[in-house]
Amino acid sequence: MAKYGYDDTPFLPNTKWRVHDSNRPQPPVIWPGWFSTQEAPGEPPSDAIILFGGRDLSKWVSVKDGGPAKWKVENGYMEVVPGTGDIRTIEEFGDCQLHIEWAAPAEVRGEGQGRGNSGVFLMGRYEIQVLDCYENLTYADGTTAAIYGQYPPLVNACRKPGEWQVYDIIWIAPRFDENGNLIRPAYVTVFHNGIVVHYHTPLFGPTTHRATLPYQPHPPVGPLRLQDHGDPVRYRNIWYRPLRGYDSEPEWRDWTPIVMAPRG
Amino acid sequence: MRIFVVGLILFVSLMAGFFLGVMAQLGYEDTPFLPGQKWRVHDSKRPQPPAVTPASTLGDPPSDALILFDGKDLSRWRSAWTGGPARWKVENGYMEIVPRTGDIQTVDEFGDCQLHIEWMIPEDVKGSGQGRGNSGIFLMGRYEIQVLDSYENQTYADGMAAAVYGQYPPLVNACRKPGEWQTYDIIWIAPRFEGEKLVRPGYLTLIHNGVVVHYHAPVMGLTRHRRFPTYQPHPPVGPLRLQDHGFRIRFRNIWYRPLKGYDNEPEWRDLTFVLFSDSPRPQSSAK
Repeated sequence: MAKYGYDDTPFLPNTKWRVHDSNRPQPPVIWPGWFSTQEAPGEPPSDAIILFGGRDLSKWVSVKDGGPAKWKVENGYMEVVPGTGDIRTIEEFGDCQLHIEWAAPAEVRGEGQGRGNSGVFLMGRYEIQVLDCYENLTYADGTTAAIYGQYPPLVNACRKPGEWQVYDIIWIAPRFDENGNLIRPAYVTVFHNGIVVHYHTPLFGPTTHRATLPYQPHPPVGPLRLQDHGDPVRYRNIWYRPLRGYDSEPEWRDWTPIVMAPRG
Repeated sequence: MRIFVVGLILFVSLMAGFFLGVMAQLGYEDTPFLPGQKWRVHDSKRPQPPAVTPASTLGDPPSDALILFDGKDLSRWRSAWTGGPARWKVENGYMEIVPRTGDIQTVDEFGDCQLHIEWMIPEDVKGSGQGRGNSGIFLMGRYEIQVLDSYENQTYADGMAAAVYGQYPPLVNACRKPGEWQTYDIIWIAPRFEGEKLVRPGYLTLIHNGVVVHYHAPVMGLTRHRRFPTYQPHPPVGPLRLQDHGFRIRFRNIWYRPLKGYDNEPEWRDLTFVLFSDSPRPQSSAK
């Protein structure tokens, strides 16, 4: 090990690691996969957990009754069947990098919130809006990629209806203490079609319509939920990677207090 | 004349009514205010986000990007040593380091941003450890993200590809093979100083080949070799610098977008302390 680094360098302030420390753990090696194109979905990274690979809804259930998810699967995508209700993953997870692709119906119908409406609910509670906002106006905090009812996206990066669009989401789940008090809000970063539309944004609380809700304590993991809002929106290539901390720490944490603490 | 004036008044009122009607239809005026903000939930008057056209190929510049290198020439770059012309080679849509011509940097200076850059280690790379395909991307000319061939090549963790050099190893090693193009998608928040005092560290998020390898990591200070990092006050903008470490590394498709705040605010800010005003705010005594 010693040949790779140094054992005589100073410690990084307030950490247990030296600069270029020989003993600092090597990060796990993964294969990054390939990006999607309009024609074909890409390949997820080798350490990703695949939630929908294009074949079936075996990892999903109906939110209403916990029974089989009744959305349609064809040609490598799933499609909302209006009236069958929201679906959610059986798997529950917290801090993560989440990749999801969607397409609004090519046949444009309705306007405002009535055009290609659906939603991606993190932990079943916190919504990133899915809507066709290509030349379609609505209230800012209900735009495509909005944190619904809380923050508009920084820009409107919508593609045309019928085209595949991508959300790359970094999600930090809220933390509650044993008495149910909030000790850290949820944070979200979203890339829409490769463009940053939210950066490390703290959420006010769970998503609702025409109101605000305070946080309600919940477990550190939850399912991914997709909304049936009555429009035949399509999804494909859905995967996530749990987000962990540096040096094999089990979870991500904000290093700001370490970096800003007095240096001994 | 009277008919004309009455007509004009009627027309103006109709138009005003139409626009107010359209605005009102977009959202609501009777919903509660968002905590700590001047906007209501689904506020009709909240500014519309500007429309941006994403590139048809992921990784190519969107319509609002500022292009630093499009594969044709180094007109937006100069030598970091002399300030004269950048002497690296340009061919086939990429630039390639000409060893010992020195680091190059952009003429443009910028701060908070989304930055995209692609790089490739040539297939015939030789050497090992830090001596194998070494280069670096210096944000604001000071804060380095390591470029190295870390495909089946070990080195100290905080010195491998995508490390914040000398500070944080990447969360995972997502390197591609030599000869394959690799991408860095960076979100950078520049440090803030008040006089000599650091009031907020620089923050880095880095996505290497589509995989998150740093998330909102507070940078510890200027990049240095074998010494611990410290901050020195500097302006809120700086150039992007690429390192000549003696290896023929290639770069292409370099662009950035200034990162702004919500609702046309001029800069990104951490809203934690707006929403949760009792959160402890970290105080610096770093020099």
